[in-house]
Amino acid sequence: MPTAILLIVVPAAFGLLCLVLPSPRWRLGAMVAGAWAHLGVVLWSWQEQLAPRNGEFFGIDPLGHLFVTLISVLFAAAAVHFVGYHRAELISQRVFLACMLALLSALSVVCVSQNLGVLWVALEASTLAAAPLIYFHLGARALEATWKFLLMNSVGIALALLGVFCMALASIGGGTDVSLSVADLVAHGAALDTAWVRAGFILVLVGYGTKMGLAPLHTWLPDAHGEAPATISALLSGAVLNAAFLAIIRAYQICVAAGLGDFAGRWLIALGLFSMAVAGVFVVGQRHFKRLLAYSSVEHMGILAVALGLGGAASYSTMLHVFHNVLYKGSLFFIAGLLGHLYGSYQIADIRGALHRHPLFGVLLLAALFAIVGLPPFGLFYSELGILFAAGSSGHWWVLGAFTLFLCIVFVGMVTAILPMVFGKPGEPKNGADAAEHGQRWRYATMTTPIALLLAAGLVLASYQPLAVRHALEQAAATVAGPLPTAHVASSESAEVGP
Amino acid sequence: MLQFVIDSILILVVLLNLAMLATSRMAACIRTFSLQSLLLALLPIAIGLRHAAMPGAHTVIIAAGAIGLKVILIPWVLLRVLRTGEIHREIEPFIGFTASVILGALIIVASFAFAKELPLPTQAPTDLLLPVSLATLFNGLLMLVSRRTAITQVLGYLVVETGIFIFGLLLLEQTPVLVEIGILLDLFVAVFIMGIVVYHIRREFDHMDTYLLGELKEA
Repeated sequence: MPTAILLIVVPAAFGLLCLVLPSPRWRLGAMVAGAWAHLGVVLWSWQEQLAPRNGEFFGIDPLGHLFVTLISVLFAAAAVHFVGYHRAELISQRVFLACMLALLSALSVVCVSQNLGVLWVALEASTLAAAPLIYFHLGARALEATWKFLLMNSVGIALALLGVFCMALASIGGGTDVSLSVADLVAHGAALDTAWVRAGFILVLVGYGTKMGLAPLHTWLPDAHGEAPATISALLSGAVLNAAFLAIIRAYQICVAAGLGDFAGRWLIALGLFSMAVAGVFVVGQRHFKRLLAYSSVEHMGILAVALGLGGAASYSTMLHVFHNVLYKGSLFFIAGLLGHLYGSYQIADIRGALHRHPLFGVLLLAALFAIVGLPPFGLFYSELGILFAAGSSGHWWVLGAFTLFLCIVFVGMVTAILPMVFGKPGEPKNGADAAEHGQRWRYATMTTPIALLLAAGLVLASYQPLAVRHALEQAAATVAGPLPTAHVASSESAEVGP
Repeated sequence: MLQFVIDSILILVVLLNLAMLATSRMAACIRTFSLQSLLLALLPIAIGLRHAAMPGAHTVIIAAGAIGLKVILIPWVLLRVLRTGEIHREIEPFIGFTASVILGALIIVASFAFAKELPLPTQAPTDLLLPVSLATLFNGLLMLVSRRTAITQVLGYLVVETGIFIFGLLLLEQTPVLVEIGILLDLFVAVFIMGIVVYHIRREFDHMDTYLLGELKEA
């Protein structure tokens, strides 16, 4: 069976298993096994050089390969974290776990689909699989978040479908067959009707941008991230948003092929900078920890949109940013789940002095904070630096200025919110909390392990980048905007250490 | 003759849009949607018949899928959810019924004017296709933003999808069957899940008013 199909079928099969297994423990085991089996298939797929065959719906190209790998790593970590996070208050554990694996399966389809239509179907399916996951805690607030998520994303994605049809219409003029295949559209780029490609890209950007959380279409995002269980917030932030970004990259590829790279870039930069600005406004003074992280996600999606819009010069940094953002944002949400358990609240004012209460958690929170705001030696520092260089070298001076300003605002907001959580004076622990903590030790251990591993992986890969990782990133970047400029490749050959 | 049938279907579709904007009874609204979907399911067959004596397998599958899901199953799910609630009428929409019909009519006029300016790279089955698709899309959006009950919002979303379906008829023969079936299935599952959420909203708040779903916001 082709690897691409295997990536889709494996989690789906384990998902079905979750539906039929009799005991909750077994079902939980099946969920973890499904996520790790998926990771196994992904790692195995790196052995061979894969290229999608022409005309096929599913195939693995370097870009999709990178994304599916990152998503798989995050899911494997989330599966372990969820074992510790897991509580009995589920609406239906069966459905919940099956939906988690269905989400993984749908996101794999997004990554390996080589056809805009299939990609759309898969992305909508991922929205539907994620909706029950948000409704985990039950009650009015979770219900409101689920409703907003479902309706906004469905309508947004409907508009993207219109955009996909417009792109297909654009290919009629060139005398070739109408096609929804990405490879075909890119190959016949010059013959595409530019008016319809423009219309299609705008609609796709608005539609998938809703799902990616680009302002002003981000309003569902803080609610969904705030109300969903922490494990699911991590998956939404690290996997679902990036899958939507991949869909936008596909449309951007077609625009570049049609000679509309500048046009698409301008829109991406505009929406990206606006997202960063909005994130800055809401990060500063935010009182809810998970909503704070959600706005940080909006910021990072804005950074990615700007980086993509800058074109070839920033394409490597874009991939590097995606790579490290998945690792750090995932671990930060996992920590949120851990602290939520420990303090029984997600209000920033309630979580104080994690370092005193539990030194290891404090250190991890501090490390994750440094990682997500882009301090060296973590990887986002290098990617953001690369984006700044690209903006400068391509003469986008005002982009460079605005980008730096918004980064600083978010930096201040994040640091002032989280530092007291690490160093502040802890409140009186509730009666019997210590005893309860004692019995929960295995929970904390299972939740801490993936956090530590993700952060360590990010730290190591930021300071030492094996050639295989570098090649994967470079090839993915080359898919976005053609081969890298020669100077950049030359410098990368000489520097195996450091990105 | 066939041309006349195709054009009449499209004109009826636009009129049914206005009918949905005008009705306050939700059950009637759902049935109107069902009728509209039935008309539209016949459209690909009518278009296919112009070229050949028998419609191709592709068009038959699409028509059958549309009838099964959009004419029967989706309205059935919505009517079932409606029956669990006590509210059967739209309550105080943000834009009144008369006003929204007038707005809807203006949208239709604007769509026809706008569609004239769009250069289609392909020969459309009829000149009405593009303007009707745009009009339906924007009427659906109007319904979505101007109504407060959750069920009517789902209907608005469905009308938006209908508009896109009409647009997709331009590419009827070229879109792979797998993609079309996937789109229809997604739509059905979306409505199914929305139905469940609406049911929970009703149980939680004892009504279906999304206006009161306003707890989550920045302080």
